[in-house]
Amino acid sequence: MKGKRRRGAVIAYLFLALVCLYNLAPFVWMVFTSLKTDKEAYAIPPTFWPQEPTSEAYTQVLLWTNFPRYFLNSTVISLGTALLSTLIGSLAGYGFSRFIFRGRATLIGIILASQMLPGVLLVGPYFKVLAKFGLYNTYPGLILAFTSITLPFSTWMLKGYIDTVPEELDQAALIDGCTRLGAYSRVILPVIAPGMVATMIFAFLLAWGDLLWVLVLTSGDKMATVTLGLSRLVTQFRIIWPQLMAGSAVGALPPVILYLVLQNYLVEGLTAGAVKE
Amino acid sequence: MKRGYLWLSTVVVLTLIVAACAPAATPAPTPPPEETPAAPTPVPPTPPPEKVTLLFSDWHLTEPHWEAALIDAFETFKAEHPNIDIELDYVSYADKETKYTTEIEAGMGPDVFHLHAYSIQSFLGKGYLYDITPLIEAEGGDDFLKSWYPQTLALMQDSEGKYYAMPGDFMSMVLFYNKNLFEEAGLDPDKPPTTWDEFLEYAKALTRDRDGDGEIDTWGFGTIGAIDPGFELRVSPILFGHGGDYLTPDNKCSALNTPEAKEAFKFFVELVTVHEVVPPGVTAQNPGTVREQMAAEQIAMLLGSGWTPPIVDGVNPDLNALEVLEAAPVPVKAGEAPEFSTTAWLSTWMINPNTKHPEEAWELVKFITSKEMEQKWFDDANVLSPRQDVSGEYEPLLSNKFAAVIAAELAHAKFVPQIKEWPQIIEAVNTAAQEGFTGAKSPEQALEDAYNRINEILSVYREAGETCPAF
Amino acid sequence: MNKRRARFLVFKAPSRQELEGYAFVLPCVLMLLLVLGFPVTIAVLNSFTPLWSEAKTFTLENYVKLARDDLFWNALSITLRFVGSTVLLHLIVGLAVAVALNAQIKGHRFFRVIAILPWTVPDVISGLIWRFMYNPTSGIINDLVRSSGVTRSYIEWLAHPRLALPSVIFSDVWRGYPFVMIILLAGLQAIPRELYEAARVDGATAFQEFRHITIPLLKRMIIISVALDTIWQFRRFGLVYNMTFGGPGHVTEILSLYVYKQYFRYFNFEYASAVAVVMAVIMLIISFPYVRMIVRRV
Repeated sequence: MKGKRRRGAVIAYLFLALVCLYNLAPFVWMVFTSLKTDKEAYAIPPTFWPQEPTSEAYTQVLLWTNFPRYFLNSTVISLGTALLSTLIGSLAGYGFSRFIFRGRATLIGIILASQMLPGVLLVGPYFKVLAKFGLYNTYPGLILAFTSITLPFSTWMLKGYIDTVPEELDQAALIDGCTRLGAYSRVILPVIAPGMVATMIFAFLLAWGDLLWVLVLTSGDKMATVTLGLSRLVTQFRIIWPQLMAGSAVGALPPVILYLVLQNYLVEGLTAGAVKE
Repeated sequence: MKRGYLWLSTVVVLTLIVAACAPAATPAPTPPPEETPAAPTPVPPTPPPEKVTLLFSDWHLTEPHWEAALIDAFETFKAEHPNIDIELDYVSYADKETKYTTEIEAGMGPDVFHLHAYSIQSFLGKGYLYDITPLIEAEGGDDFLKSWYPQTLALMQDSEGKYYAMPGDFMSMVLFYNKNLFEEAGLDPDKPPTTWDEFLEYAKALTRDRDGDGEIDTWGFGTIGAIDPGFELRVSPILFGHGGDYLTPDNKCSALNTPEAKEAFKFFVELVTVHEVVPPGVTAQNPGTVREQMAAEQIAMLLGSGWTPPIVDGVNPDLNALEVLEAAPVPVKAGEAPEFSTTAWLSTWMINPNTKHPEEAWELVKFITSKEMEQKWFDDANVLSPRQDVSGEYEPLLSNKFAAVIAAELAHAKFVPQIKEWPQIIEAVNTAAQEGFTGAKSPEQALEDAYNRINEILSVYREAGETCPAF
Repeated sequence: MNKRRARFLVFKAPSRQELEGYAFVLPCVLMLLLVLGFPVTIAVLNSFTPLWSEAKTFTLENYVKLARDDLFWNALSITLRFVGSTVLLHLIVGLAVAVALNAQIKGHRFFRVIAILPWTVPDVISGLIWRFMYNPTSGIINDLVRSSGVTRSYIEWLAHPRLALPSVIFSDVWRGYPFVMIILLAGLQAIPRELYEAARVDGATAFQEFRHITIPLLKRMIIISVALDTIWQFRRFGLVYNMTFGGPGHVTEILSLYVYKQYFRYFNFEYASAVAVVMAVIMLIISFPYVRMIVRRV
């Protein structure tokens, strides 16, 4: 028994080591490039280790007039999207999971179907709506845009998680005098915390990495995001590699920090203990 | 009870929505001092000498040397026009059309923006350009325009002769070569190839194993095969220089079925497939990576223009590119002197039809395209001007070893066809080149497929029953 | 039944249970309607409007053109291959990594962060990094391959018609599997440890545990993740846009990129809309079985 488990752990480690290699290789390349001088970054054949490591690219990117501003914008927009789509998504997920009502199947389908037209077609008309309501170049405008993309996904994911929670839990809460909303917020939400973490990360990263919507729905630097700022390092004539890589490396930090913070909810999972068979 | 619950739930959720967006309601903590309100917000029509803010967008803003030059110039402009302020809208080279089309389509967008000249016809077709003819008339019409090269002005008009843009950077493509590599290969650096046959001989001689490990590590010629705006600039000189063209003069059919075009295309493809004088992976190379190859002395020749030497120098200062590189006219077919042997590249300044301040926007365009500023753009950013009184007269330009060649070649430079279908047409040619390079099709077959595709695209220009000849 | 009500509503009046259900899903539906209603309508209407025309008359010409467009069919076939292989690979890699991370091994927190790292890199930048690494002469991949002595030739990862799509897929799996992984990991967290412990007491092997506990309990989340990932992969184009822009030739030209080209490069707004509508219909057909499985509360 014990030997078997140890063998299992060894296999898991070996596999994870392989995964690390796959995941990290481009990242290592990114970080190494960010530490190179401009000249070395373009060397042919490429060098692997930075020959004269320098943090110049980081200094340039971070002191880059508006980079802190981009960071703030990205964080506000991404967090807003994550919170909004997870909240509304969990309400809808609960509704779809716990209630039978006419049009339910159709609505579930339609919600998913709303994602089937590509953003390139929608961004123009959406722009007109935004402009009409004075939301162009504002946080709410962008958060709403991203939420319209993430919400269907969040709803579906959260419905799936809620489905795995036995309905007896709700019933117990209702008998204890909770309202439906109370049952949802006091009983269900804590139990599906890992699922909410997953959807929040999904929504956060979608808003974080998007270029098309931010490109079109903002003007100037007021609402520009990190991704948009980085895209400007790809100029007509050349890609400013060390700065682009430095910016990307720094840009990975907020999602990672968010993940570290939320990870505690992922770790042990359900305390309620039971699962619907 | 039911209803009460429904309302309660809705209200709770709406509060949540509002709460989740709350940060936006309050102004951002510390806006950068230079910040100004977004330009498109309508200004109430109150006192006359109001302050006007123009939104200016240009991909050049993402290039540090250009950014500095533009900001510097705008200080001068603002001093001359105290009632006009300029807000900058940065956009990356690859994303500019996406941004402008969506914004203008939605009734907004920058007041003044910068594009390639080949975008004029499609933007015009969609109604995305402001008619500047009256503004030009007010400046004196033809008298005002006489400083510009006529071929650049021709591109700024619609079929009725109305003006929708002013010419921007204007350059011809020329041959750049590394004279050290020429010497190493036993070629005379003062005698660059003048015909395509000679060019091929040179390229073969330059394709060598320089470090002696038995592997080819330096190639004669670098070119691009990726789908990229730079592709047409590098393939057209070969096509034009062989006497070929893309379309028939009436734009109704492709002209790629002519013997000249077939020969040019075969020559282009065989540089890669038969003669192997181009580094591997050509279909993934874009202008940037080819310049990197030049900077790393991996290639000895490329087609480029004013921007090439400074960038190569920036990528690898050790090469001493400004010294080592030389420019020469693009070769022509032996025994012929075609009227056009290279491509011209032109950018353009446009005004948004949605602008609320056309007069001020015109002031800015006039300023950017003025003689003084055109000289500044050469000094600061190495671009040549569509103004004859700059590209033909400005002393520092004419005494620059690269700019002098480029300016002289403007006379032999031709624009690619200016029709709104052009992006699809050049992509068909690009596809053919990629298919030829990778051996997926023979050059002949690939070109025939492109020919047919282009004719299909052009079918809208042909009368019913009108057909194009077979390939 | 309340007769007065029945006069107005042909259907049976909603029960309390139904009203509560509506209340919970209302915010979601309302919001999607408000934000997407107008743009989706415009896009669909556009597809029935003549190309480049001022007059907004009804026409089917875009759809007729589409049926005869070789490039559309080519893009469709490439999309199906791209989506099929990436979704499958995302699931395999994502599930394997999720299971490994769910095991209570030392350092699982560390591995978890590594596992989501690729996801934090925006598509645009992922595409550029991979293109940089794949470069035949100056890329690190060929440099390693060549110096390891496997081959001395320069492999044209993105430039060779046969290699380009697999190379793009390889990069896409890197960027895309963490999404599936994290959905499944959260699902795995919901499976009580006691079940595994009980199985172990009964002498079950790791594979039997996986087969008889993990898979059945995770089934729902697997279906959902595959459904969402399928739609996601259909929509994605940032990576391909930056790595190959559909080339060489058209061998990596997926539908979403084709729509982008038709829209923003050729300005054929109406035709692009028609392609997108057909694409949406295909996605609907493909996702229909998933929706049914999800709706029937297994």
